[in-house]
Amino acid sequence: MSRPPQWVQMLGSLLVAAAIVAIAIVVVTAHFGPASSAELEAREERLELREEIVEERQEAREERREEGR
Amino acid sequence: MEHLIEDLTRGNVTEVKVVLASVVLALAGYQLLLAAVAYERIRLPFLSSHAASWTHRASGDAIVALVLVIATMCIAFYGFEEGGAHTVAGLAVLGLIAAKVLAVRVGGRLGRLLPLLGISLAAFLAIAWLTSAGDFLGVSG
Repeated sequence: MSRPPQWVQMLGSLLVAAAIVAIAIVVVTAHFGPASSAELEAREERLELREEIVEERQEAREERREEGR
Repeated sequence: MEHLIEDLTRGNVTEVKVVLASVVLALAGYQLLLAAVAYERIRLPFLSSHAASWTHRASGDAIVALVLVIATMCIAFYGFEEGGAHTVAGLAVLGLIAAKVLAVRVGGRLGRLLPLLGISLAAFLAIAWLTSAGDFLGVSG
């Protein structure tokens, strides 16, 4: 069996290297889960903001009740 | 420098470092295979030793660039304080890369050390990965 031309061998072996890099990135990022830490922080901030709004509403409701008495 | 790294990685310094280190480790495994073909320890019907040697050099250049980026991130962001085995392995990697570049440039007797330097470099890259990225990914127990 004769070998392919030199440039094909070089290109092919470089493409294998590129494929190894791509697979490594995909496998490792899959371990991290769906979101980056920046996205997780933003999600936590949104949750905290929502909790604050709920607390403020509850306090306003209680104040109104006390004023009604 | 610390802020620049944090900005560039958008706060995901450890994650970016883990990905880059894993890419380096995967390429290091491929480098061992290419070196075995280049030294004709393994004969492949579709890859000559010359082509394997050329790709080994090109891929090695990419590894050196990535290792320098990772080392900069490590030292500038985390420092040496909590290093331990990881610091020793990382410094060994940098030293072995320097020795390998010197052996390639000088050649002669030093050139004969290339296989030993290459295998040692791959081993220390694996140790450096296990003591950092491996820990983070839960691979090293």
